[in-house]
Amino acid sequence: MSARNEPTEPVSRRKFLTTASVVAGGAAAAGAVPFAATGTDVPAQIPLSQTPAGCRDLLPSEGYLVVDSKKCAGCATCMLACSMVHEGRASLALSRIQIVQTAMLPYPYDLEVYQCRQCVDPLCVRECPAGAMYVDAANGNVRRINAQECIGCKNCLQACPRIPRRTVYNHEKDHSGKCDLCVDTPYWKHVGGPKGTQACVLACTMDALKVVHDVPDQTETAAYEVNLR
Amino acid sequence: MANGYTGQILRLDLTKQTTSIIETKNYEEWGGGNGIGTAIFWDLCRDKAIPGTDPRNVLCLMTSPLAGTAAPSTGRTEIVGIGLQAYPFDWFTRSNLAGRFGAMLKAAGWDGMVIEGRANALCWVKIVNDNVTFEDAKNLKGLDCWETQMDIWSGVSGNRRFGEWLPLEKGYTTQRPAVLCIGRPGENMSRVAAIVHDAGDASGQCGFGGVWGAKNLKAIAVLGTGSVEVADPNALMETRLWMKSRIKPVNAGPAVNPTFRAAGCVGCATPCRQRSATNNDSQCIETYWYASRSGIDRFPAPQAKRATDLVQRHGVNAVEAMGAHQYLRALHQMGVLGAGKAIESAPLAMESYGSLGFAEEYLRAISSREGIGADLAEGAMRAAAKWGRLDEDLDSGILNFPQWGYFYHLGIPGVEWSFGSLVTDRDVNEHTFQKTFGWLSTDKSLRERYPAEKFADLMAEKLVTFEGDPFMMDFGEGPTGIYSTHKAKLIAWDRHYGRFWKQSALYCDRSQLYPSWIENQRTTEGLTPEVEPRLYNAVTGKNLSFADGMTIGRRILNLTRAIWALQGRHRDQEQFANFMYKTGAAYGGCGTTKTRITVVNPAPTGGVYPVHERGAWRYDGLKEMVLNRAGVEAFKTHYYTVEEWDPATGRPRRSTLEKLGLRHVADDLGAQGKLGAEAPPTAA
Repeated sequence: MSARNEPTEPVSRRKFLTTASVVAGGAAAAGAVPFAATGTDVPAQIPLSQTPAGCRDLLPSEGYLVVDSKKCAGCATCMLACSMVHEGRASLALSRIQIVQTAMLPYPYDLEVYQCRQCVDPLCVRECPAGAMYVDAANGNVRRINAQECIGCKNCLQACPRIPRRTVYNHEKDHSGKCDLCVDTPYWKHVGGPKGTQACVLACTMDALKVVHDVPDQTETAAYEVNLR
Repeated sequence: MANGYTGQILRLDLTKQTTSIIETKNYEEWGGGNGIGTAIFWDLCRDKAIPGTDPRNVLCLMTSPLAGTAAPSTGRTEIVGIGLQAYPFDWFTRSNLAGRFGAMLKAAGWDGMVIEGRANALCWVKIVNDNVTFEDAKNLKGLDCWETQMDIWSGVSGNRRFGEWLPLEKGYTTQRPAVLCIGRPGENMSRVAAIVHDAGDASGQCGFGGVWGAKNLKAIAVLGTGSVEVADPNALMETRLWMKSRIKPVNAGPAVNPTFRAAGCVGCATPCRQRSATNNDSQCIETYWYASRSGIDRFPAPQAKRATDLVQRHGVNAVEAMGAHQYLRALHQMGVLGAGKAIESAPLAMESYGSLGFAEEYLRAISSREGIGADLAEGAMRAAAKWGRLDEDLDSGILNFPQWGYFYHLGIPGVEWSFGSLVTDRDVNEHTFQKTFGWLSTDKSLRERYPAEKFADLMAEKLVTFEGDPFMMDFGEGPTGIYSTHKAKLIAWDRHYGRFWKQSALYCDRSQLYPSWIENQRTTEGLTPEVEPRLYNAVTGKNLSFADGMTIGRRILNLTRAIWALQGRHRDQEQFANFMYKTGAAYGGCGTTKTRITVVNPAPTGGVYPVHERGAWRYDGLKEMVLNRAGVEAFKTHYYTVEEWDPATGRPRRSTLEKLGLRHVADDLGAQGKLGAEAPPTAA
């Protein structure tokens, strides 16, 4: 665990927008920007020393979404269900679970499922300069984003060690989003969280998704791939 | 407004290489898919009697308001326009395909698109959200359908890693562009060319691939990061979960076979496709067009799968491909086709028929229009006409094409299929009743739970807008059977349901969910007529009833009938081939292994059908059914009467069109002398 100074206050959205242009030139020096594309501005990464999470120990989540990707039919129902219950609209781009497929490839290489791993050491939470990302102790320590506090810096996206990043950027509302195991689903009348129900799990046509409560091996990429056949 | 629509339809002028927008609200009364597409075609295609290759042909590709939402199995894209496959007329026709395209088009912000004109040179259209460009396709010319898509994917998505987020001007996506494209058959304007999407989703029937070729359109690629708003997200999710509790997937995938996964189109609740080492995304006839089940003796299954990939890569209608090779084989066995024979078969070596090499050469010849391939690219019917064999071979049935130049799919004793095809324009290819008859034939417990009379009574309740008539289910040849007004009502019901719920709301036929009769996926009672409006209204908020949807379907059918009238349709043209009136036509379609020359499996598969005879109901396989001409003509008269068209011509009447709010259509028909005569006044 690296030593960091605790900041005196979280970075506010106003301060971020004021300073972003100053540090923008240092983006290349701060590290690779994964969303670089012509014509797309990417805000500079906030230096780690200014993130509020610091080195606090974070309790592990009590729930983890696992998948049997060999059962997955690639129908993207989970993606549509996720965006529907969280955003009230069906959107592949806003879904907090992503299915990516290449139809011409032979099974099982034709499809991959990318879900948030509720990491024991959540770099997305640690890297958030605004305190918007947090561990929700009231809901089984699910790693969540407070959209109202999010300043849209995309630190969380860049911090995620997975490819593709498991945090999702909501370009319609300019804030990040991530899997919260359906703790907050304003468009669905079910109770979520580690002890509740998840839209993707219930809606999945093939029953290829499940929430488990034992912590999957954090060093093993395939630890979230299970056999549900 | 949150109602499933994006609010705009993309209008492409290939001649001028320009785009414009049609507001969806101007056509919302037609639902989506076929309804909106047909209405736009009516408005934009002034001369409806042109051939399909004419640049003035207007193709409409339409989704439904449910596409791209979590509404189960509603993501198809309907294509309407003047097709090329039908014989002998290029009828206004329809086809559809599924996969990822419809959902992605909605995500890009479009309810559909309209394609007009002809590009000067081969082009493809790139749609990234609301940014639409015409691209030069010279580097795609000659590529097969897979090569084309993979080339476009890398062009649109760049060199990012598989699955990495791609930034667009608005938002990010991990998804590949959804691409529709044609192969060489389409580029060469073959009448049996398909439009292919991903590995095996296709608009195969109708020859729209050839229409794209005539328009110099190689591909359309769509990538979107937008959203589809629905009226009641909670109601939609609850409906989806309710349906899930009542059904099982048709395809268990690796639970039963570790070598493949079930593969479903976006939002599907009953994935019917599969992904394995080969023949990905293909299903049904595509998987056995060149296999033992299509009459080829001792053809190894792995080679059949390779043949599936070939037909998809080339982009040829798999059903036509199957019918045509069976025909070639029959002619070869008769000694009239082969090297140096009356019908020269080069470049095909008929002695190698049944090998994978023959399949490769067969498709390549059609694609490139080489030798006999040039005849086959026009469709087997036109090939037979060119060879001077049309009448003879339709009489014997070795040319197994019962109506309109489409290969025999199903139809006797399942006459709702064949009669429905006869009074429309193609192979209807809707399994509305056949799936249930099939289950009844194989599941004795189901027949015991629903003896024929109980089944007929139940259906009489469910067939809303024609409810109350159990004899609609009589498939016998008695007074209440297949030649009676009762059967005419069933065909009318089937066509109205098809036009709206299946082809406009785009409830997937293949899903086996819609409609849902006595047993859906072998679990419990059927969900029709509750499920259709429940889903539709959760998305659109329109409070549409099942009957409302049927009325819209009737309206769409009348508009289509009017288009056919302007194209010259008359009841005298609606004729089956001679072989359909002969012994052996029953169960002779491509869903069986019975062929005209070689009976591979003498026990035909199929279903059991309710029959009412001498006051009692029973189930009967009707294996020996033979149609009679007078009966078919009587059926046609009953059918036109039920539809309130002129029985003498089969054309819609002014009074009927006006009752359906189509006065302007009646005016156009009247101006061209194509209205049906009004019914004589009834005696007081």
